[in-house]
Formats: sequence, C-alpha cells, structure tokens
Amino acid sequence: MLKNLLLCISLLLFWGALVAQERVVVSGTIKEAETGETLIGATVAVLEQNQGTATNEYGFYSITLPAKDSVTLVFSYVGFQTVVKKLFLTGNQQLNIELSSGVELEEVIVKANSYEERANSTQMSVEVLTMREAKLLPALLGEVDILKILQLKPGIISGSEGSTGLFVRGGGNDQNLIILDEAIVYNPNHLFGFFSTFNSDAVKDLRVYKGGFPSQYGGRLSSVIDVKLKEGNNKEFEGAGGIGLISSRLTLEGPIQKGKSSFIVSGRRTYVDIFTRAINQANQDKEDYNPIPDYYFYDLNTKINYQFSDKDRVYLSGYFGRDVFGFEGDFFDFSFDWGNATGTARWNHVFNPRLFSNTTFTYSDYQYNLTTKVTGFSFGVGSKIKDATLKSDLYYNLSDKQSVRFGLSTTYHQFEVGRLQAGSDDGEVSFSAGQDFDGLEFGAYISDEWTANSKFTLSTGLRLSGFSNDGSTYLGLEPRMALKYSLSNRWTTKLSYAKMYQYLHLVSNSAVALPTDVWYPSTQNVKPQVSDQVAIGFSYLLGKQYLITNEYYYKWLDNQIDFIDGAELFANDNLEEEFAFGDGYTYGMEFSIEKQQGRLAGWIGYTLAIVKRGNFRGVKDDIMEGRYFPPRYDRRHNISVVATYEINKRLTASATWVFGSGDLSWLPSGRFTFQDIQGAEFKPVVPVYGDRNTFRLPDYQRLDVGLVIKFFPKWGESDLTISVYNAYDYRNAYFIYLEPEFREVEAGNDLIEVPERIVAKQQSLFPIIPSATWNFKF
Amino acid sequence: MKKYIGFFFGLSLLVSACNLTQEVEIDLPAYENQLVVESYLIPGQPFFVLLTTSFSYFDPFPAETSQFLEELLVKGATVTIKYGDKTVNLSEQLFFNPFTGKLYNYVSSQLVPSDFTSEFQLEIRTTDGELVTAKTFIPKSILTDSLVIQKSETDTLYRLLAYWTDDVNEKNYFRRILNVGSMDSVYVDFTLDDRLLDSAKFVVGSGYDFSIGDTVINTILHVTKEYYDFSNSVSFAASSNGNPFSQPSTIRSNLEGSKNPLGIFAGINPDQRTVIIKE
Repeated sequence: MLKNLLLCISLLLFWGALVAQERVVVSGTIKEAETGETLIGATVAVLEQNQGTATNEYGFYSITLPAKDSVTLVFSYVGFQTVVKKLFLTGNQQLNIELSSGVELEEVIVKANSYEERANSTQMSVEVLTMREAKLLPALLGEVDILKILQLKPGIISGSEGSTGLFVRGGGNDQNLIILDEAIVYNPNHLFGFFSTFNSDAVKDLRVYKGGFPSQYGGRLSSVIDVKLKEGNNKEFEGAGGIGLISSRLTLEGPIQKGKSSFIVSGRRTYVDIFTRAINQANQDKEDYNPIPDYYFYDLNTKINYQFSDKDRVYLSGYFGRDVFGFEGDFFDFSFDWGNATGTARWNHVFNPRLFSNTTFTYSDYQYNLTTKVTGFSFGVGSKIKDATLKSDLYYNLSDKQSVRFGLSTTYHQFEVGRLQAGSDDGEVSFSAGQDFDGLEFGAYISDEWTANSKFTLSTGLRLSGFSNDGSTYLGLEPRMALKYSLSNRWTTKLSYAKMYQYLHLVSNSAVALPTDVWYPSTQNVKPQVSDQVAIGFSYLLGKQYLITNEYYYKWLDNQIDFIDGAELFANDNLEEEFAFGDGYTYGMEFSIEKQQGRLAGWIGYTLAIVKRGNFRGVKDDIMEGRYFPPRYDRRHNISVVATYEINKRLTASATWVFGSGDLSWLPSGRFTFQDIQGAEFKPVVPVYGDRNTFRLPDYQRLDVGLVIKFFPKWGESDLTISVYNAYDYRNAYFIYLEPEFREVEAGNDLIEVPERIVAKQQSLFPIIPSATWNFKF
Repeated sequence: MKKYIGFFFGLSLLVSACNLTQEVEIDLPAYENQLVVESYLIPGQPFFVLLTTSFSYFDPFPAETSQFLEELLVKGATVTIKYGDKTVNLSEQLFFNPFTGKLYNYVSSQLVPSDFTSEFQLEIRTTDGELVTAKTFIPKSILTDSLVIQKSETDTLYRLLAYWTDDVNEKNYFRRILNVGSMDSVYVDFTLDDRLLDSAKFVVGSGYDFSIGDTVINTILHVTKEYYDFSNSVSFAASSNGNPFSQPSTIRSNLEGSKNPLGIFAGINPDQRTVIIKE
C-alpha cells in the first residue's frame, strides 16, 4: 500500500516537473502588515483570467501562471485592504505580501472577495470564525468563548444550556477532533463545560469542518475543529488584556528580532476563589459555617517563532491549563484538578516555489487527579492520556490546474484509565484499580485538486489510517472526494464524500462534560468507530454582499459505542463489559444567509437534523433489546440569527437569537413502591424507566445582546464590552424532573408522610445575566 | 466610564431573586402496570413476600390513607418457595413488623434455614394466570471483625469504623447500613463489592458525627450479585430523575415472567451489631 502511494507521489512530481517548463510560479507568504502575523485563507486572484488560490494554514501560497504574460494579482482578506500587483512573468517569482487591516478600498473587486474564494473552492461544509467577529458578540458572563460561538453556525448543535458541547451533523460530542496548533486537545472544557479552554486573545484562526473532510485530517467521525494560535507581533511590542466578572486576561507579544522572530504569552485566570477565601476567613469563627470550596481555572498560551530565511521558519508553541477545586476541613481534605497540556514544534520549509513542507512534532496530555483524605484513610483516583505525534505534510503546486498534498503522521498514545488507590494509612485495608494501555496510531494520505476549467474542480484523496494496541491492529482506508461545479458566476454546486475512522472513544454517559470523562483505546473487543458521509450543497451570491448556502447530508455510523443501563464507568477494571456496540444514521439540511462586510454583518442559519442510533449489543446487556433510539441531542429544528452593527467608530451593537427544538430527555413512565429490607429507608416512589429519550423538552429560545464601547486613550485602545445573556429573561428548561408531594397523616402516635400527587418541574439554569468586561490594548 | 459601570451593577441587582424552578404540565409515555415482588430470605426469619403493583407515573394517589394498601397490594396469588425437597406455601395475610416497620402480604410461619446453601425457588401465580418465578441462594455468613470508636482530635465527636474479612477466593457483594437510635433512622446506606480490594480486610466508616450515648446499629449484609445489581439500579433510578449529571437506569430484576415483573428475590446474610458510643 505504502509502496503504491510513494509511486503515485513520484509520478505526480515528475509530471509536475514536465508541465512546469512552460509556466512560471508565483509564491510567497501573505501577512498582516501591522503585526507580521501570517494570514490563513487570504485569496490571490488573477484579474485577467478566472484563476486564483488561497494561502494555506501557514500563510503560504503558490500559483502557476503562463510565462511571459503580464498579469494583475489581487491579494485580499476580509477586513483588510486589498493589494493589487501588476507583474510581468519571465520566471518564477517570490512575492511576499503584507495586507493592512481596515476598511477595504472603494474599488472592491468582487471577484476577489472571500465569498468568491469559498464558492470556488471544492471544500464544503466548513465554517470559519474570526476573532474580530467573536469579540463583538455577546457572551455569558462576558467570557468570549469560541466554541459557544460555533454553536451558532448551522449544522452545529450545542449541548445543554451554557455548555461548550458541540454536536455536529448528528455526531456525538466525542466525535470532534479538536486541535490547537496541530496538537489534540482531549478535553476542551473548564468548569464542567461552561467555558472552553481557548483564550480568544491568543487565537488567530478557527475553522470547523462538518463534512467533506480534507485527507490530512482523521481520527474523529463528525468534525474537525482546527484552532491556530497567533504567532506574535514581529514588528512592535504590544499588550492586550481584559478584566471581566469572573476572570482577567493578559497577552504580551512582540519581536525578539524585528521582522524575524516574535513571541506571544497569553494568560487567563478566574478569581472567584479570592472572594470565596475572604468570605471563608470572615466567617471562620462561626460555629455552623460551612466553608465554600476553592475553585479556579487558568490557561497559559505561549508561542515563539523564528524566520531563518524566506525558506525556513520554526515555531514553538504550548498550552497549559488547569481547573483546581479544593477543600480543606478539620477532618476532611479534598482536591480535584484537571487539565490539558499541549506542545508543538513546527518547521515550515519552502523547497522551491512549488513545494512547501510542514513538519510538526506535537505533545498532548490530559489528566485528572482526585484525592480525598479523612483521618487515617486516603482515596485517590486519576486518569491520563498522553500523546506524542510526528507528522509531515507536503504541498505541491503541480500546474495551474493541479495541486497535490500528501503526508504521513504517527502518534504514540499512552492511557491510564481509572487509576485508583485507596485504603487505610496503616495499610491494613487497600483498594486499587486501573488499566494501562499504549497504542500506535498512524495515517498516510494523498490528495489531489484538479481544476478542469473555470466551472469544474475535483478534489480526490485517500487516507490510510491504522491503530495498534496490545496485539490488535486495525487498518482503515478512507477515501475522500469533493467536487465543485459553477453553474454561473453566482451559482455553485458542490458534492462530497468522506469516510472517517475513530480509534479512541470517550467513556462518558452524562449529558454534561465532566472532567472524569476518560478516553479509551480500540482493543480486541472495542472496534474503531466508522462513518461515511455524503453531502451536496448549493451556494448563491446574492448581490455583492450576501451569500446563501444550502447543504444536505446523510451519514452512516458504524461501531458506535454506548453504555448499558446502570453502567459503572468509574474505577472499573472491566470497562468493556459496560459498553454496547451499535450503529446509527443521521441526515439533515442546513441553510444560511450571511453578510460579512459593511456596518451590518452577521448570518441567519437554519438546521434540520435527524439522528438515530441502535442495534446496541453488549457483553453483559443490550440497550433496549437492540431497538433504535434518538440521542439526547437529536434536536429537529434550530434557528440562529447573529448580527453586529457598527453604529459609529465608538459603538458597535450586537445580538444573537437562537430558537430550536428542545433536547430529548429520558423520563420515567411508571413508578413502584419499594419498602426495602429492614433498616433501610422506605421509598414510596421509585421511577420505572422505559425506552430511552422519548420525552422532548420544550423549545429553547434565547436572545443575547451586546454593546462594545470603544475608547481611544493616549496609551492605546480600550473598550467596555457589555453583554446581556438571555435578554428577555426566558425560562428555558435545563431539565425536567418529577417530584412527589407528600402530606402528613397520623398513624397511631406518629405522623407519617404519604404521597399526595406528583408534579413535573422544570429547572432553568440562567435567567437574564448582564455582564461587563473592560478590555485594553497598548 | 463610571456611568457604564453603574448601569451594569444596576442591571445585576435586577437579576437577584430569580425563580428558576417552575411547575409544568407534561405527558409521559404510555405505561402498563407491572407486578412488583420483594422477598428476602434471611436465615432464622420467616419466609415472606410483598406482592404489589406498579402504576403509571402520574396515576393519582388515593385520597384516603386506608386505600393505599387496597390499591397497592396484589391479592389472591398462590405463592410457594421450594428448597431441596421442601415446599413452603405462603398464605395471604398482612404481617407488619413494628420493630422493622416492614409489611408483607404473603407469609409463612416456617423459618428460613441457616444451613441450606443450595437454590431456593420462588413461584407466584396470580389470579389472572400470570406466573412469576425466581431463584436465589443465601450467601454465607460473614462476621464483623471489629467495631472501632474513634474520637476526633479537634472536637468532642466520634466516628465508627467497621472491619470485616473478605473471602479473597470469591467475588463478594455487600450492603452496609448504619442506623442511629432506631432501625428507621438511616445514617448511611450503600452497596460495595470486593473487585477493587487488594487486602483481605474491608473497612467502612462514618463521619465524626456521633456523641457519647448515641446508639449506633451497624449492619453488614452479605448479598448476592443479583441483589447488588437490583439495589444499585433502584438507587440509580431514584437519583437520576432528570439530573443531567447522571444516567437513568432501568430496574434490574431477577424475576422471570411474561409481563416483565419488577423486583427481587434474594438470600441475604446480615451481621448486625449495636454499640453505644462511649469514651
């Protein structure tokens, strides 16, 4: 297989060399003029002919053009001033471009705007989020959260209220590949999923693939969320930060050697614990006072890069974040911490104007540790996943009609699952549990993009993936295909197919993201999850400013994992006995109309989604005798409206409104009376649960509004960002529960309680929540 | 700037005192009533069975207390328990134990043997012809090695530790109940098994919650796996009512029957010790 792949690559390179003789190549990097940050997805368009390209994720572009022609190249990026260059092509040329941020020039060339680029690319089912956009939108407690903004995009459904959970096209929250500077982030959550681990000050670019996955990505079934950190300003020193209700942020960046190297350090920490400690101290003499446990989280991002020459650039970046929860009492100490660490070392090399390479080493770990100490006894449990990945990607601009990308990656995983130690300090009693695994995951891919003419582009790819763990090896052949056909300058239609394999599985059966959710490898009994997705999409450019997109998808899911009723997932050495394996299918439609430029910008999105899973069979038990059932997040209709409006230079208003079907909930249908054995409590009402997820919570709706007020002090810029979450104070159902109400009756000399009626109660989580954050930049 | 901050704090004040819980009207899935059986074989105690019915979740409760039992208890069934070559016929009569506060509607005056280690079989036939069967055995007796009373170093309160020895050659399942004052006042109640135990000794404790003179009843029950699973499923079901942090569970019964009966028929071997907290 590998041999064939290499042969194929060699042939392509040879052919490319032949073709190259009649043509010249213009290549280079596109950067932001003020900071030197590379721009991802900036477009390069040839004015004289219908041809163009875009910068890759490292800001590099390469375009093949007919020799000895005079051409006009138009370089553009949303929110930046367009640069137009006239070239006379006598030989290959390197052309590095810097774009200045600010309003675009009057003579905006429609051909070169980002809609055009999106329409021309074969890539469909992708959503891009800029930090500029993210920072204008209202946020819960003023914490800008990029994962929550993604939930507003069509095809991406949020988890329970306030959580960062993402359910993409019927996939589970564990089926998202979340990568930060190419390192996997295993648990992107703080505080049980109410906040994500990404500090928006440090993030440069974020894109989400919902389908039509490019061949370089693999390992998860339903989405790829690719987050790139800023590189740091290599022209001048600057700082930025913010003081919010629950946390503060500070980012420092600047050149190490002007124009050549830069650094960025960014940190965020919550400070609720400072107040709770003060409250505890003030009340420590009160007899019945129960101290509030300490809780805080923090994130630290760092990155440095050095440009050795126009051909070589090296980046080092890292992320470290922790949630820390602790309590110290007279007889009882409790501590619980969890978090991710990632590290990336990357080397970009330009072999020649046609061939660009990126070689990356990444490290990633996620762990949690929970310890409890009571006089004479202790209890500790923890889990860990640790990865080291080496990968190499090459981009080859074969001709004006064809480009190739290929690469290899290998990851060594180490897992510690549910490692428990407990017992008495004297050693008389001891408990232990835990499983250790290691696994090797690899991938090799090649993809080819062929532009037949201005109307038709075809992208084909093949990924070979594999996973090996303790004698069991799995291989997966993952074909990928995408094509684009432009019916006219305004109408484009796209089609894609992608097969994905997932070798790691999240052990969690809660509706919220818990830090104790652990990753489990494929083993002899646990087969890799597989999906096949087909999608068809249409886009229409309405006028100059509106892009209408409409996509339909169908996805088959195989080897899906769920947990049997009453599964014991905590400190269990036979976790696989609690699993059940099944399949599923999901289909739906997404519609959006968006406007990126102008004083009023935003989008309206609608998602129709259907998902069913079933046929779940386990070692111990089946789920619902194998019948199909919808998961909790099977929400049929979802509407989101997002708008920002620049009132004047000082004021920008924003609003988001979401409306959608409620989550599904598993509520009981019957009840029985259970008196239990002697000494145990009598339970007058024990619920009897039938089929899973048959009850739909009421429709969800919420309006958030925001206002950004800018100030221009002498030392830089600052703004006050005001957010009102749930502005019309709507009571959404977080969950519904059933509660028996009792009345007291006399029984002999005693009063006993007997049930009188059962009421259904709806619990809401967030009322209207105003917040304010003061941000500054110098 | 100041006026904006003032505005924000004004808004924050408005938010206080929000009512986030409200009563709602909902429809639940259709439900067909099931037979519910509770029968525990405890060496030295009479054979007894509580045979009741389940209800749809929103079925109204009787207005009169006296009607509770009328609606709950299933009448006219034929109940037998067989073990070895013996057959125990349980007759329908209400038996209320004032000491334990427990009630049974099918009882026999015969006592559960303490030396029979093989299978017991339960057979229930209702008036409408439904047959419910189940089997169990009585786990062997375990004895508490020691009960240790410890005084806190910083306070005048005490805790109770109970030690017992596990048979490392078998998988064992236990339930621990701690009652304070009387049997109907439960301090703590949980199940545990020995799958994670490295040592031969088990220990279970309490918080520093007891004062001198408190009567504490510590019961370690050696139970069957079926009982352990059933008991856990009842706890899961009861505690996960709409709670997004936990997964609901169906009830894991060990009964056979055409209409999916609920409940448990289980042998239980308890070791109960009473201590009075003193210096």
